[in-house]
Amino acid sequence: MASVKHHVIIGNGVAGNRAAAVLRERRPKDRVTILSAGAFLLYDRYELPEVLNGRHDWRDYLVNPPAYYDDNAIAVRRRCLVTHVDTDRRLLMLGHREEVSYDTLLVASGGRSYLPVGLRESEKLFNYFNTYRAAMATFRSLTKGGTAILLGGDILGLDVARALVSSGRRVVLVPSVHTFSPHKVAADKRGAFFEALERIGIEVTEEEGVERVEEGKKGKLPRRVVLTNGRKIDGDVVMPFYGLVPAVEFMVGSGVDIERGLLVSPELNTTDNRIWAAGDVCQIWSEEDKAYRFYYGRRNVDAMGEVAARNMSGEHMAFKSTVDETLSLDKKGQIQTEFWERN
Amino acid sequence: MNEHPTGKVYLNENEDFSDRQSYGRRVVTPIRYSTDPRDMGWVRQNIPCQAACPADTNVPAYIQMILDERYGRSYELNRIANVLPGTLGRVCSRPCEDVCRHGWPGNGAPVNICHLKRVAADLKPSDHRITENLFTPSGKRIAIIGAGPGGIAAAHDLSMLGHDVTIFEREELAGGMLAYGIPAFRLPRDLLALELRNALRLGVELKVGAAVGSGEGEVPLSILMTDYDAVLMATGSMAATPLPLRDAASGEDLARNAPNVEYGLDFLMEYHRGVKKTVGKRVAVVGAGFTAFDCARVARRLGARKVTIHIRTTEEYIPVTKDEVLETRREDVKIMGLRTPVEVVTDDAGKMTGLRFVQNRLGGWRENGRREAIPIEGSDFEERCDTVLIAIGQKTVNDYLDVKVDTDRWDSVKIDDNFMTSVPGLFAAGDFVKGPTTVVEAVGHGREASLAMDTWLMGRERRKLVVKIEPVEEPIRNRSWDFIPPQEMPTEPVKGRFDHIEREAEHGYDQDAAHEEAKRCYLCHHKYEIDTDNCTYCRACIEVAPRNCIKLVDGVAIDEAGAYGELHEANEWDKVGAIWIDNNECIRCGACYLVCPTQCISITKNEIFLQNV
Repeated sequence: MASVKHHVIIGNGVAGNRAAAVLRERRPKDRVTILSAGAFLLYDRYELPEVLNGRHDWRDYLVNPPAYYDDNAIAVRRRCLVTHVDTDRRLLMLGHREEVSYDTLLVASGGRSYLPVGLRESEKLFNYFNTYRAAMATFRSLTKGGTAILLGGDILGLDVARALVSSGRRVVLVPSVHTFSPHKVAADKRGAFFEALERIGIEVTEEEGVERVEEGKKGKLPRRVVLTNGRKIDGDVVMPFYGLVPAVEFMVGSGVDIERGLLVSPELNTTDNRIWAAGDVCQIWSEEDKAYRFYYGRRNVDAMGEVAARNMSGEHMAFKSTVDETLSLDKKGQIQTEFWERN
Repeated sequence: MNEHPTGKVYLNENEDFSDRQSYGRRVVTPIRYSTDPRDMGWVRQNIPCQAACPADTNVPAYIQMILDERYGRSYELNRIANVLPGTLGRVCSRPCEDVCRHGWPGNGAPVNICHLKRVAADLKPSDHRITENLFTPSGKRIAIIGAGPGGIAAAHDLSMLGHDVTIFEREELAGGMLAYGIPAFRLPRDLLALELRNALRLGVELKVGAAVGSGEGEVPLSILMTDYDAVLMATGSMAATPLPLRDAASGEDLARNAPNVEYGLDFLMEYHRGVKKTVGKRVAVVGAGFTAFDCARVARRLGARKVTIHIRTTEEYIPVTKDEVLETRREDVKIMGLRTPVEVVTDDAGKMTGLRFVQNRLGGWRENGRREAIPIEGSDFEERCDTVLIAIGQKTVNDYLDVKVDTDRWDSVKIDDNFMTSVPGLFAAGDFVKGPTTVVEAVGHGREASLAMDTWLMGRERRKLVVKIEPVEEPIRNRSWDFIPPQEMPTEPVKGRFDHIEREAEHGYDQDAAHEEAKRCYLCHHKYEIDTDNCTYCRACIEVAPRNCIKLVDGVAIDEAGAYGELHEANEWDKVGAIWIDNNECIRCGACYLVCPTQCISITKNEIFLQNV
């Protein structure tokens, strides 16, 4: 009789949950544990702009009912921060000094909002939209008619901007090289896309660096952004959207190869044959590009979770992207991107 | 203190134990100096920061002085090991922090040891008096070639030992790479000048603009050999390693002749000699060491808009400190990994337009402890740039030698265990023999060389390492200190850095931050021991221990060096031979000491000490 194995998944997002479901199906007797740094069960972050339309109960965003995890014997341990991985002893160290052993490990810890180093001093002045709590905090700070200043403007940020505009908020975008990221837009094409944004009501400033972000002056709006050319923009909230940075700190020193993300084969195996990675945390070897690269989009992340879980349970399946990465304008001059599509 | 017939000494003879259950008295030994290999081994194994420091700096002791707000004493403790504490407190590569017990899995982040070294220098009183352990004049004359960190450290220690030292430096300023390689925004020149002056103030004669060699106006080495009792070569690694490009013939340096391509070392040396340097808007820096990062940051200050550092492996494996990476990024420099340049791309007019790279993957480990980068066939790609700075390494230059000296297969001068070359009286140290290392390694090497030279010159060892063991009355640390987060280094806003390009980027801790950071140190030089004669095996200490640090053992191995080795834990009661504090696990919280009903746990401070013989 095969012994019971413990499959541990770091990360409670789309990839992690998909992997847990596949592992449960393929290995009904094994233990499957998800370790989550946050307090919530999996919820749909792509639906968060709905908070602007009054959908405020967090339970409305849950992807699976809580009973799902019990029914499928998937242990979700919340508020467990992994601080270190000991690959020799196959142990995870948690922030509260507990050690968790694993037989196979999937790192699906995702990415966190990237903040250029020069803006870190202003971190307390920013609003975000990447979690339920952050979205609600932004909603409270930004009433109808209020002004949001978007810095950077990656493609998910622009999705939030669209929702803000359509719910009666004013949006000023300070573009940067990260605008439209992860799409790559040639310099001579950017103007057309900026015009498309303006057509839907997003105000686009000149492409200037951000000198600093500060509290608003007395009697003015609560936030002020000062650009490198001296221009000042006042708003109710400032929201940085400069793309994602993989959450891999806890893997440093584990011996698993990292560049920006965890370096994985097309089978999503890291350089440790008991550790896989999926989602925004991994850089996958592309034979076509002869380079390690990131693949984004919910569909890709979901597929990575499935591929990783299958390979963790004995298959040899390669990940293949199914997301069209082109950014285009349709006949009406509207931006078309798969990243804005809802399920 | 009263001496007991057993030879042990009991402190606090009249201590009132009525507030706690007590069966005995704490056993404390008086201060003693030990050469027992078990004591020496304990220090080496249990104070990882000091063991990792090439200069053998007594880290926990100087941090404890900061905790006590005795900054001058802290500076002096630093200065025993390295004569440039303020300098190293800014530019050290920090091997100590890589091994700090506070950074071990489960313990959090390492102590910012280097920032605290800087505290000792910055916060010492303005009227602080430097102390030196002076020897009487020996009548011996020593020439040192090169006034870099290795040469300066050796000059200081040799002059302290009573020798008459002269330094020959080819540049106009002393300091070597400190003065010509490291930019002022990392190392202010007034501070460097002050510490160099203090290092040489014991009568060292510094001859600048005095090159040693066979050229016109230069002093031949053979003459120095006859004029002095001993000569130390400490000329560092002052030549850039050529960049091997794909189409280059063996030994050919294509990069040197390419337009707008410069070696980073030459770039920095000229910049610091006062030559006006210019760079284009897009600068590519090739390399992963401090020189590469300095080149990138200088290029940004000279007006480059887009600066990218290209590295062969990944950020995890580069020798530069995390703070340096952070500050470089803050200045909007990009770091791109897994790439090796293979070609300088030029247009039809011969103008350089970019670099062609090949994509790498990570391979195994190289002999020098770094990761291998394996190029991936057919993965070429191009990056546009208009200036290239190459800083992939440095090598030694020994073309000034006019005496026959044995060299190795890389043409580096060979030395024996006593730092002597094949020529009696001719010594060598620092990067000149080790290849490009770090400032602290050069300082440590210079210091070791000076002791070896002294022994050779005087015909006997005059200083030797011992362990000073001193009783500590009670735990100094508080358990809650283990949860203090690392204190951030205050820095100059980025705009200010570019408006004033020599302004120091890091400001240093103030007194409050220094105190908080000092609290984080476990003070690993404190040794907790259980007196098994008085222990009742009640397990109270085991119950309160925050880690698996107190063990029941049936024996303790002694390793080859005579130091304590592996603990043999006893699984059954009848096999227990002793109760033992595993100092490898101990985080010096003091919980066991406070709870022990029989007061059988004692604390001693254990420090390596250079004793006059």
